[in-house]
Amino acid sequence: MDHELGEAMTGPSAGIGSDHLGVSLGGTVVLRDVSLTVQPGEIHALVGLNGAGKTTLMRTLLGMLTPTSGTVSLFGEPVAALSAAGWSHVGQMLEVPFAYPELTVRENVYSAARLHGLSRPRARSATTDAVLSLGLSAYDMRRAGILSTGNRQRVGLAAALVHAPTVIVLDEPSRGLDPRGVIVLRELLQTAARERNAAILVSSHHLDEVARMADRITVLHGGVMVGSLAPGSIDLERQFFDLVLRADSANEARP
Amino acid sequence: MIPAELEFEACKFLRAPTVRVISALLGAVVPALAAALTVAATSDSVTPIALKASAMVIGTGWNGYLSTVGMVLSVAVLLGVGFVLSWSFGREFTDHTFSALFALPVSRRRLAYAKFIVVIAWSLLLCLVTILLALPLGLAIGLGPPDSAALSVGARILVTWSLTTLLACPLAWVASAARGYLAAVGALILVIVVTQVVTAFGGGAWFPYAAPGLWMGLGGPAASQVTPLQLLLAVPVGAAGVWVTGRWWKTAELTRR
Repeated sequence: MDHELGEAMTGPSAGIGSDHLGVSLGGTVVLRDVSLTVQPGEIHALVGLNGAGKTTLMRTLLGMLTPTSGTVSLFGEPVAALSAAGWSHVGQMLEVPFAYPELTVRENVYSAARLHGLSRPRARSATTDAVLSLGLSAYDMRRAGILSTGNRQRVGLAAALVHAPTVIVLDEPSRGLDPRGVIVLRELLQTAARERNAAILVSSHHLDEVARMADRITVLHGGVMVGSLAPGSIDLERQFFDLVLRADSANEARP
Repeated sequence: MIPAELEFEACKFLRAPTVRVISALLGAVVPALAAALTVAATSDSVTPIALKASAMVIGTGWNGYLSTVGMVLSVAVLLGVGFVLSWSFGREFTDHTFSALFALPVSRRRLAYAKFIVVIAWSLLLCLVTILLALPLGLAIGLGPPDSAALSVGARILVTWSLTTLLACPLAWVASAARGYLAAVGALILVIVVTQVVTAFGGGAWFPYAAPGLWMGLGGPAASQVTPLQLLLAVPVGAAGVWVTGRWWKTAELTRR
């Protein structure tokens, strides 16, 4: 049953979507008219300055916030109505990694696997694979609280990916990672997109990194989608700031 | 088969230094303190400590000793269990792990209930361990073999402990709604202060937080006449605490970090 659902969720309607999404928090408009899709097998990067609304968008897509207007969907289903079976195919890491300081690396990743519906034997083997693929084998019996920031981030990524999700949402996944960790992350996400047909949404501040990883790059500024960047094009940084400045100028010109 | 959320919460609970420290304080230090008070009270000394102890220890032998254990515990359990509940719920916000509990096939309400189950199970187990530890201490201070009074007071401790555990449950809601354990610890201190004031004004038995302690003899023999109804008010207080916390966890959003 689980397997059938997994196949169904990688069908044509699978993926991540927002349609004319608006979010206000405490009377402040944080997102305005954001329409975005992430197709199965696609890595879609969100870039933007601090406070652009990237995290709020991801929170709303994952059901952590209710939209003020518009809709959000996962696997083609409204997020608010997504079943438990649907959520078992979602992997996420926003801001703080799933790395409880008192638990060992292995216990953290195993707990994430169990919470995503894996049976004990499957959770154990999936944990071994995830710990190995994130380069954490040497630390697997150490408590997460004594790890470096980068290794805690690796634990969080292992916890987000341990159950082989087909929808993946990661907020600044490369934060704190060393150059080798960044390459490991990129390869894991590209494999998930290619082999599992996963729809992947990541946010980042590093344009060169997303250029290597993403199929599409969307620029969010002041809670509005202000354009997109072509991953293969040159001088992404200049293109990015052109979009941001154009958006600011348009805002200032508005009466 | 243990559900995943219960396994997860139990794993965090068993690894937590907070839980280990409070277990040791409640399970070993309280009976040791009561034993010391009993020794001081039954000595012929006229030192200030001995005089104060003899005012606290009501009765003699196992009855006096275990009643003292129960009286100290009636406050200590609320503090200990209240602190652990505040930590268990509040740490998800203080450690910023709350966002990791979204987007799961397990609902957040079930996660909250799993926390309650783990804390309540720990509390009841610790109660039995504490009573078992109190027995060799009683023997060590020369009370002789436990008598029927020991069994009766032991049962009274079990009831007081269970009711006090229920009374701590609303603190989980405070820790959740305030998004951190500090506010819940503040509320815990406030509850203890209010209990003292209410008791001082003579309204103790109808105040759920005061009733178990009074029944255990904390207000003296005259105030220990507490009816079963007055004691059982702890049940709706605990149930309301669990329900309102579960509801909060079901509907909470991540409006701040």
